[in-house]
Amino acid sequence: MFRESFLRPTEPACAVAIESKRAIYTFNLTSVNAPDASSTRNGLYSQTYASTASVQDYDVVIVGGGPVGLALACALVSPLRRDSSLRVALIEASDLSAVRKWQPEGDSFSNRVSSITNASREFLQGIGAWDLVDESRTMAIEEMQVWDGVSDARIEFGEATLPSGRGLEMARLTENLNLQRALLRRLDNLSSPTFTILDKTKVSSIVPDTERSTWPVVHLHPSQSSGVAHQAPERREQTSPLPLRARLLVGADGPSSPVRAFSKIETYGWSYDARAIVATMVHDGNLLTSFGTPRNTTTAYQRFLPTGPIAFLPLSTTRASLVWSTTPELAQALLDAGDDVLARMVNAAFRLPDLSMRYLHQFILDRWHAAVPEVVGADGKMSKKGYLGVDEIEGEIRWRERAHSIDASSALSSLPDATTRTSSGMIPSADAEFYPPLVGHIQARSAASFPLRMAHAERYLGQGVRTALIGDAAHTTHPLAGQGLNLGLGDCQSLANAIHTAHSLGQDVGSFTALESYPRQRYLVNHGMLSAVDKLKKLYGTRNGPIVWARSVGLETINELDGLKRMFMGVAGADGDADRVVRRRTPDRDIGRSENREGISTASAEAASGHSSLGNREEVVSRLESTSHGVPTWAGMLASAVEGVAGMVDVGTRILRQRF
Amino acid sequence: MFARALARFRGPNPLNLLEQQGRRTIATATTVNADEIAHFSKLSEHWWDEQGEFKMLHRMNPVRVQFIRDRVVRTRQDEGMPDATDLRGLNALDIGCGGGLLSESLARLGANTLAIDASEANIRIATAHSSQDPLFNASSSVAHKTLAYRHATSHDLVEEGKQFDLVCSLEVIEHVDNPAGFLESCAALVKPGGHLVLSTIARTPLAYFMTIFMAERVLGIVTPGTHSYSKYVNASELLEFFRTRIPWLPKGPADPPSHLAELRGMIYYPLSGNWGLLPRGAPLALDCNYIFWLRKPV
Repeated sequence: MFRESFLRPTEPACAVAIESKRAIYTFNLTSVNAPDASSTRNGLYSQTYASTASVQDYDVVIVGGGPVGLALACALVSPLRRDSSLRVALIEASDLSAVRKWQPEGDSFSNRVSSITNASREFLQGIGAWDLVDESRTMAIEEMQVWDGVSDARIEFGEATLPSGRGLEMARLTENLNLQRALLRRLDNLSSPTFTILDKTKVSSIVPDTERSTWPVVHLHPSQSSGVAHQAPERREQTSPLPLRARLLVGADGPSSPVRAFSKIETYGWSYDARAIVATMVHDGNLLTSFGTPRNTTTAYQRFLPTGPIAFLPLSTTRASLVWSTTPELAQALLDAGDDVLARMVNAAFRLPDLSMRYLHQFILDRWHAAVPEVVGADGKMSKKGYLGVDEIEGEIRWRERAHSIDASSALSSLPDATTRTSSGMIPSADAEFYPPLVGHIQARSAASFPLRMAHAERYLGQGVRTALIGDAAHTTHPLAGQGLNLGLGDCQSLANAIHTAHSLGQDVGSFTALESYPRQRYLVNHGMLSAVDKLKKLYGTRNGPIVWARSVGLETINELDGLKRMFMGVAGADGDADRVVRRRTPDRDIGRSENREGISTASAEAASGHSSLGNREEVVSRLESTSHGVPTWAGMLASAVEGVAGMVDVGTRILRQRF
Repeated sequence: MFARALARFRGPNPLNLLEQQGRRTIATATTVNADEIAHFSKLSEHWWDEQGEFKMLHRMNPVRVQFIRDRVVRTRQDEGMPDATDLRGLNALDIGCGGGLLSESLARLGANTLAIDASEANIRIATAHSSQDPLFNASSSVAHKTLAYRHATSHDLVEEGKQFDLVCSLEVIEHVDNPAGFLESCAALVKPGGHLVLSTIARTPLAYFMTIFMAERVLGIVTPGTHSYSKYVNASELLEFFRTRIPWLPKGPADPPSHLAELRGMIYYPLSGNWGLLPRGAPLALDCNYIFWLRKPV
């Protein structure tokens, strides 16, 4: 078909070029029978070279300087074979020198933290960036405690006590800034002549190259960041940088990706009607186990409340990151109530039964709705800050604890004297390790929230427009599995491999065929993760009795099935080492569990699992007893069968992953 | 009966048949088939539609390029260029370039590439496509690779007395008349010590099933009439040709030494959507698509 857009001699210079080159080709030969096609031109493709001086050509242009975009740049900028390397440019709106100069104090942590899986870490090591991460500011996760907020059914990952006293690492909690700085340092160290970072630069538009049809041209302008505004006027009057023409344009530009919009790629998904509160929590690191030995701080905790999961992710011996997803209203109410109220509520949210949490949520919401917004600060913003006192919320929590007959020595108690109790060297109760350390306070100005949604682009490659999407531009997920950044890094690895392979074989790295392996390798994997997380979120978003029962039995069954658990861990962190990591924990539980697994229901099993010192976890214990009671031997066989199937599925997925 | 069916499938050797019909000298012979030219001219607009008519060829291209690159680089490394990693500095000729799929790759790997095709429409499309790429666009600041297209036949270049370090003619022999004459002209265009790379399809029931029955009739990924079974050339026939008619390879039933020639089957993996080389000596490896590299004696 005749496309008018091919003929755009708008500027005189272009027109002259057309004249002088006389290079007019029939591009759409729909009905040409004879080799001589010049007589049947029905679509004209005109070549003009007039604009070549006004664009910069790059092989790969990456939009977005977040961890994923920077990691792709690192993977593409090879220290070897500089003469034949790809020309790569990265565009970032913010000022990356702030990230380069990021030098936080030892015990203050950024609230944007990611759990880096071992697979992701291997990739980062491979591209030479992990060595530049400040590892003293990262934390290895060697154990995970995940439990149901309604039934308290629990699943445990990890190994508590190796002879060395250290478990096996499942994932590494890392501040995003720490990773970003490492990636930038790596790129700076490489100082490749074929790589350019354009920071403080915004994409003003992306258009197809009018003369060369499909090649995308990125128009840029300096971003008006506050840092620039304060500087001398001549700095501000920067002329816009030259447009970049890309062989391949990669969108690492986040959930509302301009590259995706340019590629006309639809996404599907939904908003979760939820926000995640993030904050850096400070606790007293001086914790003991029930054996009186120092308690390790490498355990991550997550409780699935019907309003959304709350996670405690350790960053150091005394600091941890909070990710608490809840309703948007409650998130705002908790943030308005201030850090101290938030800290009390976090402690309660890991400990109090769902009934009481519902009560506390309602209490906070009622107070928040009743509060009158006041003008805060000079900019006239209205806020309800400080509508709720710490004493008030403490009083409410105290009252709820009394209602559940939780006393101060219980692991479920979140009263302030409970904090002094642990630090005074008293031996805590045996189940203390099932709950995270009590949060003392929230690091100043670290509490914030962001909306949650699940979205997946329908394609990762633009069709005929030389674009690819990676990271959040391709998919966003609920943070409950901590997989967002890991999926993005997986994308980087796969796309970089495709680009390197194609480049080494003289292929056009922007062509669809050259990049086809990227969506083949990643789309189903990512989709599986997104939908699993989505199902999990929905499954745990209900209080419906039969569903709670089913999910609790399911969770506890999985907890017994090493094969299945390995599968979950393979994606939740460990990958590869999972075989060795799945072990059971405390000795008393171990006995109970193994009896249960073999399907033997004896009084000794009950005695072993139940009445030691688990008094405060009546619900958990009773569930344990009920599952070990009256389970006939065929259940053991069934369990083995399920495990076998799970193992086959495991092998199957690995094979499929390789094939696709 | 079964044997007769097989014999029918085996058919006459295209390289021999024409020899029997009477030799034409290279200088006057035309190997261009007018029907084939019309066929590919008609399809020429689809050359760069990666999801269309030539999808399989697009996917096959990386494997072909890798085969060529590895053979050439190995030879260069063996012969005094230990640092060679690509085709830099070589003069390459792509005969029957079509839309320029292979030609662009050879040029990107550093070869000074000339690509010719008997169809003018193909040359037009190939030129238009490569001019989009700043790498080949002389007026671009990043242009540093040479790629030229010409509407010409191999015989035209022979008459001009041109010779090249690397001559490629992939998926072409099965589309020409007088393949023997065509091969002779290809051979004449190779410098002594240079490389010749050919690829085609074997004349076997398997190849018939894959390339005509499945690809053209059942799946419809290739326009019917693209392939003609009787023009397919078996690997053994090609080997025999380069032992007797063009004596580049030592005579005898043994496989040619690997520093002189290599024959490899290519297979499409539908699950992973890419082509791969079959291992040397794998059963049926040379019974469908295959690629053949050999060197002209110095």
